[in-house]
Amino acid sequence: MRKYWKSTAIIVLIVLTIGTFYVNSATSAEQHPEFVIQTQSGDAKEINSLVLEGSYTDTSSMNYVSTNLKITADGSTYNSRSFLDQVTGQPPTMIKEFREEYRTFMRGKQSWVNLYFENNDFLAYADVNYKMGSLRTRDFTFDLSVLNKEDDHINSFTVKVPNSGELDHIFVEDIQLFDNEMILITQNIMKNDFNNETHIYTIDISNQTISNHEPIVQDPQGQGDTSFNVQIMRTNPTKANEHLVLIKREVKVIEDTESIREEVINEEIISVNLQTKEKEEINIPDLQLDNNQLSFYDGSTIYFMILAGQELVVTPYSLEKDQVGQAFSIQLSGEKDIVHGQMTTVKDGKLYLASAQMSSTIDAGVIVADLKTTKTLFKGQIALKGSSEEKHHFELYLHEMFVK
Amino acid sequence: MKNYLKLVNFEFNRIAILFSALLGITFVAQIVGVIVQSRSYLSMANEKIYDEMMSKAQFLEIFGQMSFLQIARSVWFMGPIAFCIAGVGFYIFLIWYRDWIGKNTFIYRLLMLPTTRLNIFYSKITNILIMTFGLVAFQLIIIPIEMLVMKVMVPNEFRRDMGVNEIVSSMPELGIIIPTSIVELILYYGAGMLVVSILFTAILMERSYRWKGIFAGLIYSAVAAVVLISPVFLHEFVLNGFFYPIELLILEIVMGLIVLALSVWLSGFLLKNKITV
Amino acid sequence: MIEVKAVEKKFGRKKILKGVSFTANKGEITCLIGINGVGKTTILNAIMALTPINKGQILIDGKRLDKTTFEKITFIPDVITMLPQMTIAEAMEFMNDFYTCWNQERATELLEFFRLNLSDRIASLSKGNTAKVNLLLGLALDVDYVLMDEPFSGIDMFSREEIANVFTSHLIENRGVIITTHEVGDIEHLIDKVVLLDDGIVTKEFSAEEARENEGKSVIDVMREVYKR
Repeated sequence: MRKYWKSTAIIVLIVLTIGTFYVNSATSAEQHPEFVIQTQSGDAKEINSLVLEGSYTDTSSMNYVSTNLKITADGSTYNSRSFLDQVTGQPPTMIKEFREEYRTFMRGKQSWVNLYFENNDFLAYADVNYKMGSLRTRDFTFDLSVLNKEDDHINSFTVKVPNSGELDHIFVEDIQLFDNEMILITQNIMKNDFNNETHIYTIDISNQTISNHEPIVQDPQGQGDTSFNVQIMRTNPTKANEHLVLIKREVKVIEDTESIREEVINEEIISVNLQTKEKEEINIPDLQLDNNQLSFYDGSTIYFMILAGQELVVTPYSLEKDQVGQAFSIQLSGEKDIVHGQMTTVKDGKLYLASAQMSSTIDAGVIVADLKTTKTLFKGQIALKGSSEEKHHFELYLHEMFVK
Repeated sequence: MKNYLKLVNFEFNRIAILFSALLGITFVAQIVGVIVQSRSYLSMANEKIYDEMMSKAQFLEIFGQMSFLQIARSVWFMGPIAFCIAGVGFYIFLIWYRDWIGKNTFIYRLLMLPTTRLNIFYSKITNILIMTFGLVAFQLIIIPIEMLVMKVMVPNEFRRDMGVNEIVSSMPELGIIIPTSIVELILYYGAGMLVVSILFTAILMERSYRWKGIFAGLIYSAVAAVVLISPVFLHEFVLNGFFYPIELLILEIVMGLIVLALSVWLSGFLLKNKITV
Repeated sequence: MIEVKAVEKKFGRKKILKGVSFTANKGEITCLIGINGVGKTTILNAIMALTPINKGQILIDGKRLDKTTFEKITFIPDVITMLPQMTIAEAMEFMNDFYTCWNQERATELLEFFRLNLSDRIASLSKGNTAKVNLLLGLALDVDYVLMDEPFSGIDMFSREEIANVFTSHLIENRGVIITTHEVGDIEHLIDKVVLLDDGIVTKEFSAEEARENEGKSVIDVMREVYKR
């Protein structure tokens, strides 16, 4: 048996070493710290349905690999970086749920929530397809699908984008469904002057044709160092809204000796009734949103939000009544918070607010406030569980918050 | 089966010396790398702290602690790995051609063994696999040894200790060789063996038909590649992303198994009917 | 019986074998004679399935070759079939490992007969001794048929005699032997059957004994007749 010792030895070595390595890495728990939301005041139940998504990076080594995680009232869960999870990808939770529930419908669909519309009866999807030409993209077509949840019927069709030749590119920004009509809000980039326009396409679902389309807002060519941009006010991406709220800004680029920054010199807030296409400018004196992304439209009321010092000033505006409500402010904890940005969302009359960044030197607060009574219902802080034992260098970035 | 195992053992004994040389080179180069990297870090620390009067804390603030990653990212560490990969890649061809070329006409004996000739194919591909996993296993064994050397050389406060897992997961290039999960290990090395089986088939085509066989081998490799990427291609360009990622993965695995079966069958056919000494 | 039936073989466009047919019986020494490059080695390779044939059929005891046939037939080519770095002992061990028909007793006998050293490396052997090792490895198998390719070419006189002695010994008895050569001289008295090859075909197949007894001709005489024509 003398001649068998080499191969026997190497095979034993392989099995033992590789076996041990993988058994070890499977059993050894994740070394990431656990984050919890500590209650400072108010009712901890308020955050039961809040989910914060972000990424965690251990900065104390040269290892800058970050791991995605979710923080809820129950603590933190890290996304496993297992191979199968990587293959499946990490689509937004909403898309994940759609995929589980409507597997056939969701085939071949992008995982961008803005492209979806959902109500009790329907799930609708719209995207733009195009061919890559040798020089430019061309032949834009809308790829549209509507799922009738009741009978699982899928109505899928494509419609050529009218005046496709004039477009350099087109993005779907939101879709809405009214009875037999699908309304697409798109950002069109024109070929001739690269101007943007926000365009509305009305699609007759039963005839599978575009019944009407018109540009809603155009951002004209800026002059010199000024430029225009149009944004859709943040709202729940899949829910039905009767109005579309747009923010049109004129931005001036200011070049200092040391830096280049943008300053908003003019700001218009426009609401568009999606069925009548009626436009209306909303004018609130002394309201300057600048470039922040905090404001939120919940379908009936726009909540304008501005950070001022250590406070978040909320100005509600009811679209139904065309009326500005009483502004109120929410006290933020700690001054550092402000510097590092905030995230907001509104659901069921409650405002949820969380800091976007945390590290060993930066605290991150979480606040829930009632928008009617303007009272703060919950105030808390994200903290390391059992943090006292060792001081770790880490960075936690939160980029998404939603309420289940 | 018995003959297959005997052949595997025989083939391994043939490569054992070369294989141990690869292990030796890897070990020596990496240990030297540990010493060189640790020394250069320490001498930098010395220079900053004693010559430039920087405080320890200040130094650590600016330059950070030394971790094994600094060693692992150096050419001392990755170089031998690349060398071993090249060695195994070269051996994929040598394992066949050395039986024909020069004074070596061992192929007569191999083909005249009273066992199915596919066993020759199996024993050679098994040896490539043993070599590959042997190198991986050896690397896994010597990393802790190298860490120990670093521990001895670099004082505690200047050192950040890491686990093998942590190192592997922070270096994607190392993560291919030592994947973080067993599923990946099987998939990566399965794909590797698939490629080896395709190459073996191409080599046997060359050995059977000589010049014409080279073209046949190239065509076979190209067809295999096309078959393997066809699901992804169809998914992307024809079916508009019809498949979910997991379905695409399963489809790819099935395709891989089909190509593997085809390669084995073709190699068996060539060895039985077309091979020439 | 080994039957070679209408075997054709091309190398590229060149036809080496143009329909070769002959038989070799058990218990007889059949000699394939032809000038160099006539395809003698190719025929032996083809019998052992070491090279494909384009047409024709080769049967061994009425069956086509498969893996079990290698326990029944062995081939001693004019090249060494073991790794040069192996010692004779290792080569014998290898044979013993893979062949159930390996006869260790016979191997030891041959080793003594050829005065070979177990611990010698094959690479270090002289040409004559290498040929003897080859012969040893082939003849120590209890097989029915032995194919030998030019066992005498390029070998010194004494070795040649030793090898020739093997043919008259019990080592060959009752086996079917096919031997190729381009100079028949050394073994003329040993062979039972002659197959003359020329230009890819069998020009004459005859019994050496019959030629001697009936026509009073030696093998060389018959060859002369055939090639003169």
